Amino acid sequence: MRGIYHITPSGWAGLAFAAFCFVVLPEISGRLWLSVFTSTGCFVVAIAGVAFVYARLGMVSLTQVGLMGIGGWVTLRLGYYWDLPFEVNVLIAGLVCMVFGCLLALPALRMRGLYLALVTLMAAGGLDIIFVTFQFPNGGEGFWGVAMTGGQQIAGPVLAAGPEGYLRLVVGVALLSFLLIEAHCRTKPGRAWAMIRRSEASAIAVGVNVALYKTWAFAIAGLLGGIAGGLLAGSIGILDAATFRATESIMLFVLAVVGGSRYWLGVVIAATLYKILPALLNNWGVSADLSFVIFGAGLLHAVITAPDGIAKQIYDGVAGSVTKKKQEATRA
Amino acid sequence: MKWEVWSGWLLWAALMTAILLSLGWGARPQILGLFLASGLAAGSLYALGGIGIVLLYRTTGVLNLSCGAAGAAGAMTTWQLLEWGWYPPATWIIGVLLSLGVTLFYGIVIAPLLAWRDTVVKAVATLGYALIILGLVAFIWIDEPRKLSLPTDSMAIKLMGMRFTVTRLIVIGASVGAVTAIWAYLRYTNMGLQMRALANDRDHSALLGIPIRRVETVAWTISGAFAGFTGIMFADLIRLEVVVITFMVIPSIAAAICGRLENLAVVLVAGISMGVIENLLTLSPTLKGVRPIAPFVIAVIVLFWLQRGKRLTFAERA
Amino acid sequence: MLEIKDVTVKFGGVTALNAVSASFTQTVAGIIGPNGAGKTTLMNVLSGFVTPVAGAVNRDGQDILTIRPHRRAHWGLRRSFQREEIADDLTTFENVMVQLDHGRAGGGDLRGEVEQALAFVGMSDRAHVHGAELNTFQRRLTDVAKCMVGQPQIVMFDEPAGGLSLDESKHLGGLIRKMGAETGAQVLVIDHDVDLIREICIETLVLDFGERIAFGPTAEVLDDPKVKAAYLGIEEVEA
Repeated sequence: MRGIYHITPSGWAGLAFAAFCFVVLPEISGRLWLSVFTSTGCFVVAIAGVAFVYARLGMVSLTQVGLMGIGGWVTLRLGYYWDLPFEVNVLIAGLVCMVFGCLLALPALRMRGLYLALVTLMAAGGLDIIFVTFQFPNGGEGFWGVAMTGGQQIAGPVLAAGPEGYLRLVVGVALLSFLLIEAHCRTKPGRAWAMIRRSEASAIAVGVNVALYKTWAFAIAGLLGGIAGGLLAGSIGILDAATFRATESIMLFVLAVVGGSRYWLGVVIAATLYKILPALLNNWGVSADLSFVIFGAGLLHAVITAPDGIAKQIYDGVAGSVTKKKQEATRA
Repeated sequence: MKWEVWSGWLLWAALMTAILLSLGWGARPQILGLFLASGLAAGSLYALGGIGIVLLYRTTGVLNLSCGAAGAAGAMTTWQLLEWGWYPPATWIIGVLLSLGVTLFYGIVIAPLLAWRDTVVKAVATLGYALIILGLVAFIWIDEPRKLSLPTDSMAIKLMGMRFTVTRLIVIGASVGAVTAIWAYLRYTNMGLQMRALANDRDHSALLGIPIRRVETVAWTISGAFAGFTGIMFADLIRLEVVVITFMVIPSIAAAICGRLENLAVVLVAGISMGVIENLLTLSPTLKGVRPIAPFVIAVIVLFWLQRGKRLTFAERA
Repeated sequence: MLEIKDVTVKFGGVTALNAVSASFTQTVAGIIGPNGAGKTTLMNVLSGFVTPVAGAVNRDGQDILTIRPHRRAHWGLRRSFQREEIADDLTTFENVMVQLDHGRAGGGDLRGEVEQALAFVGMSDRAHVHGAELNTFQRRLTDVAKCMVGQPQIVMFDEPAGGLSLDESKHLGGLIRKMGAETGAQVLVIDHDVDLIREICIETLVLDFGERIAFGPTAEVLDDPKVKAAYLGIEEVEA
């Protein structure tokens, strides 16, 4: 029996990559790259949530950046109100978003999968408007806490000091997120999700409470979105409504599919493309709007011919060369 | 069955009256009329978008999320040609034709590749197409304040104390007309009959020898024309901004959801109600800022209403 | 003993099942009838996917129609579908395990029970192969294993022999009969394959247009002229 703690080759690669990001990456990166990697890491956490819901249940969530926004808002709000440690604030933000994730699944729980996607699209549109209207707390008065000129920043994390430490914190959280998802998938919830994806009737027939497990999946995606938003807020200090537009939520989902939603590598590829491709285009003097075109075309390509995304193609490539080497070795 | 339908409409009428009264209470009649008029027009646009989406979805099984982007492409083209001093009616037609062409391209080239996939996957794919169009249009016309106006903007008539520009009247008329025309088309023409058959059951229609590709092409064409018309009107009445027009698809979806993605009359009424409520919310000091959310909130409430008493069993046939 | 009492189902204006009653007393029973006779509808009533307008289904004094659908599995209802519902991304072992995941609160040796069931159907050597790699027969065997874990009360097979060769179908029939004896559950088998029904079912219910047209010992029922007219006649035309 493949035990719960069994580590696959892809898992080893992931752990090695995480170790590299934790130990080496902060040492070799300059100030600018540190902030780029940190925010990429935040988006890795968020995309892990969307990707998992799509890969395991075939459910489409188009609200993830909106949930990040809520997470960021809560973190900032708490940070300005009380003196709780930053980590606690982020965790609370995650839990708040968990509840939002559940609420999101509610209106369409008993309807076709398409409705769920449409509800999340509407939620993304709605949150977009709310963020633009109310903005993010920056130390101002009152509940919304918005002042014309920003005050001092919220307190940083206790566990980590400086931008290097912050990047390590984010890498650690990202690793924990993947482990959380993997642990679910290898146990009872994962089996229930697999049945739901097969068909809801078959899931009911084996005794799965379909509504509960669907909601639970959305709750996990919400938790990760909220934590990602909180970490992003902590790294930048101030948040801007423009970061959390509905377009961005759509983009996150699109990239999760393009990267390969079943694999950690796919999620990392997605986050990297999301943060780095527009910046590269800008550097080359090309409008970043073209990244929309590239992502859109990538999605069509993935949906039509490569449902497991870039990550799967890389895995197949690696697996192919490994067997080739083995064959050569046996021949020699 | 019948009673359910009637009680539904009665409930809608009662709720609508209550909302109108509570929001409009104490406001000056002129102001109220102003918001009502603009609400009717905005709502008609949502309804038009929703009607195009539902018609296409029922016939082809594709929920097209790129129709807003196609509309934006058409509207920007019209604006550009007007800037170059082209003959206005020609620019309108070219704008609509461009949206139509963009939509039809997807319908003919890309959609068939996904014909046997899950409904959700089909919808997601159109999202990719929307991003492509959005990116290209935003690349060609960088974001700056623009305005598109039609000659009908300066013509107006007074109706029950409300001033309606002719543009608004056209939009309202178009939405009502579209529902009636589509209804008649589906009911009285041969192509309409085939569309209904397709909406009912694709596999059986194919067995019956209905030319699926041809019927689908007609549906894509009609919905493309809808997207173009709606995009240009939206640009005139509300805002000429690529991203905003692209995401007009969201309130349209909200309207479509209220009609369960099938009932055009309900989509029309829902769309118009949403527009009216959204605009009247301007009168509420607390909710003014978030009034664009109104359509989504309404759609979510309707969703809860629709799934009441429903039990989760077999996923319905998509 | 399983007692179906006056079960009536209507879809809009169509009566899919009209006051169907039957008291099953033998462990393995069959339900046959031409297409559209209401066989699968009856199963869906038992599963809770279709709510009847009237009727009751009793097993040892428990009316199962009052239990919420997903809880019926906890109580002991098992079912296989026309299209074997084996999840592609779970292993054979996990596909059986999922049935126990949501059972009665119970500890016990769940893994051992799954392994036993897999051994019973002869799938032990494929326990850790993913569902996607199994062929139709192996999927059917997994289905049987799934249906026998966790003290089943009622087990329903919807066309279990669909898509199987003659030998495979025979083997499966033997397993179903043995499994009924082993678990003490009430086994119901729907199939077009009259030979399979004749071989494994001691009693049989025949439906036509939503009505019960015969019920009793299988051999007698199959010889009933009414049944021959309604069902076997059609079968001959099809063949």
